[in-house]
Amino acid sequence: MEDNILDVRNLNISFSNYGKTSKVLRDVSINVSRGERVSLIGQSGSGKTVTMRAIIGTLPTPPAIIESGEILYENQNLLALNRIERNKIKGSGISIILQDPLLSFNPVLTILRQMEDIIKYSDIRIGISRGHEGRKKLITETLRKVQLSDYERILNSYPIMLSGGMRQRVLIGMALLNNPKLLIADEPGTALDVTTQKEILDLLNSLVKDEGLSLLFITHNLGVVREMADRIYVMQNGKIVETNSRENIFKKPKHQYTIKLMESVPPLFGDKVIDVKNTNSEVDEIISVANLNKSFPIRTGFFNRITSQNHAVKSVNLTINSGDIYGIAGESGSGKTTIAKILLGLYGATSGTVKINKLNLAEQAELKSYRKLIQIVYQNPGSSLNRKRTVSQILSVPLKFSGYSNTMIKDRVNELLQMVDLPVSYSSMYPHELSGGQKQRVAIARALSLEPKIIVLDEPTSALDVLIQGTVINLLHKLKKQLGLTYIFISHDLSLMRNFCNKIAIMFKGEICEAGNTKDIFSNPKHLYTKALISSIPVISDKEESLKPKVTYEERSAVLQNTRKI
Amino acid sequence: MNHPLGASISGEDDMEQHRSLTSSQMAWFRFRSNPSSIIGAFIVLSVIFVAIFAPLIAPSPQSAGSFVDFMNRHSPPSRDFLFGTDNVGRDIFTRVIFGYRVSLGLVVGVLGFAVPFGVFLGLLAGYFGNWTEFVIMRFTDIMLAIPPLAMALAITAVLSPNLINAMIAITMLWWTWHTRLIYRIVKAQMNEDYVEAARVAGASHFHIMFRELLPNCISAISVKISLDAGFVILFGAALSFLGLGVQPPTPDLGTMVSTGSEYLPEYWWEALMPGLAILYAILGFNLLGDGLRDMMDVEV
Repeated sequence: MEDNILDVRNLNISFSNYGKTSKVLRDVSINVSRGERVSLIGQSGSGKTVTMRAIIGTLPTPPAIIESGEILYENQNLLALNRIERNKIKGSGISIILQDPLLSFNPVLTILRQMEDIIKYSDIRIGISRGHEGRKKLITETLRKVQLSDYERILNSYPIMLSGGMRQRVLIGMALLNNPKLLIADEPGTALDVTTQKEILDLLNSLVKDEGLSLLFITHNLGVVREMADRIYVMQNGKIVETNSRENIFKKPKHQYTIKLMESVPPLFGDKVIDVKNTNSEVDEIISVANLNKSFPIRTGFFNRITSQNHAVKSVNLTINSGDIYGIAGESGSGKTTIAKILLGLYGATSGTVKINKLNLAEQAELKSYRKLIQIVYQNPGSSLNRKRTVSQILSVPLKFSGYSNTMIKDRVNELLQMVDLPVSYSSMYPHELSGGQKQRVAIARALSLEPKIIVLDEPTSALDVLIQGTVINLLHKLKKQLGLTYIFISHDLSLMRNFCNKIAIMFKGEICEAGNTKDIFSNPKHLYTKALISSIPVISDKEESLKPKVTYEERSAVLQNTRKI
Repeated sequence: MNHPLGASISGEDDMEQHRSLTSSQMAWFRFRSNPSSIIGAFIVLSVIFVAIFAPLIAPSPQSAGSFVDFMNRHSPPSRDFLFGTDNVGRDIFTRVIFGYRVSLGLVVGVLGFAVPFGVFLGLLAGYFGNWTEFVIMRFTDIMLAIPPLAMALAITAVLSPNLINAMIAITMLWWTWHTRLIYRIVKAQMNEDYVEAARVAGASHFHIMFRELLPNCISAISVKISLDAGFVILFGAALSFLGLGVQPPTPDLGTMVSTGSEYLPEYWWEALMPGLAILYAILGFNLLGDGLRDMMDVEV
């Protein structure tokens, strides 16, 4: 095809590490036509980032070895070019938007300086010169393209002064500075809240349309792909397993892996949604929170005086019954983790009463028996498991401190491993020898070790791939049934919560803006924020899309942080 | 019951055991692929070996004491006297080998006290924070502000100049570096969820400090010890050179350089050979320390 702006042909790449060579990409072929939006989807480790880096030429060689294949950009083989010729294409031909908007900036330089530098160096490469004013004119024009106003203030800010959404906008602007023809986006917006992510994706879509760009979009999220692609490549273990138009992929996926991926995305609306009910025969109040407030002092200036208070949690009321799976949803900074830490007795409340098992929290938080009442599973098992301790050492800590003898500990550790479906032989392994899903199972086993009644699940699946997520959710259901647990499920993934929780509370700026049965909240959201939140969730079918609540831009901006202006 | 959401997915996906290299294999690979660390390890092992088996290796063990052989004084390096002889005719090669004994003894003595003490204070400061941190870290800062040589001069002047007192003087200053190192690591580790997880599990302060946090400091400590060893040898030699450390006739590298320097430049080997011996040992420990640092991937 003549009209391909990018044509990757039979790319084979392997990595040589520690004397071993492993194949990372096998015969990967991708093409992008002019003005087309193409998505590359795959789980972590499937090779999509390696592909991206091979295209833009930032793959470190060694350890990477490009064994065979061609990367044609406008019918020119990039792999055959020398460094100088290749650099000319960077920015002006192919440009890239990276995942993390904060890590992609230099924190000690202003936005203006960083954007000017990009122009300056690309001007040198191309061989034109323009003065400070000319550069600034180009910058403000570009900022207008990414729908930012208030140029002066943004340009004179340091990255940390901008919100996540604005940083992502500026980052897109940086990629557009030299009028590229092909834009590669590596999971933009994944680090942001779902409402902000939605805005970023809308922006990218309108840019592709208005500027006539081609887009290669790399992601793991099927819902996002549906909004962002005309054609989709599905990647598994370094191979393209399926490629087709968006309609065909979503309507009739062919490859088993694609089908699996589709099925593992929790549905938001429709017949496949699972309504979870509290199956306990006797339901009694296990947690009641009344008028809970928590504020953190902000210390600044001379001698670290307390200058103001940050109200993380404001007048929160919650009632959780035994056997509930109670979801607390909200964006980052909404106070959901603070509530969890108060319930665990790690933070004291500023005011309000918390009763757990009909007893005041303050009276029992220091007692050993309290540890047998409530436990937690953290978001990232890489951090919550000490990497210098074996699985059995990790699991024995809670047991040791509640009076188990050594022989009892050993039996209990084996028992726990069986409960979370791990082989007993894993007890002598270190965390890094386990996969992400296995690590999270160990973390769940630790939480279970003292037979608690309540388990706080702090985004337990957000660090895992969607396929693994299903198995962990499955395990949690099994354990709940076996042991009669009550879960408090903290997350920002509303589609997962729709299918996992029987009750849900939506948190917004430290307050609970809406709470009730999950089914009712999703079918009839009352608070504007809840509506905006649900409408931002990427879904995988048109039917679900049509069932989302409709929110206008004005309504959204009334409740959400504005990412266009300071 | 299988939850419908997960039912379609086999549980096998995350059950596959990882067949990757263990971390110790990877570390060994990194160590091995760096030739300077191999050389460093070889040098350090050779120094330790000759120090342990000094009486068996040394060509004339009597030279280690107050032995006099005026027939052979100031004889240059030859087949009989590999490094030459000194002003009273003692074999310098023998004295260098015995000198390593003193140097390594100093290293073991100093680091044996300074490291546990410094690590303990660093753990306390990093773990408890607040006032504990303030008191410990400011005290550390004060100790760091004292010039080491002035401190050693003061201590050996008050007490008498000998090996033990030199050791005390160095120890009193050396722990500060370990405190700061461990404090920094612990502070960073405190942000990891496993510390809070241990607290939720009901673990004691002692458990969290010594069973959870300390293992995460071990690699940094071992790198630091290896780099320190060279500097302790150098510092001990400097004290002896000034006459504040080991007293004659005990063979010490610093003292030998000092007395040998009186006969420069004619009898150059008397100062140069012990000097090269110091260089050899320090080079070894530093190369080894750098190698270990790359291998364990820590910053010291």
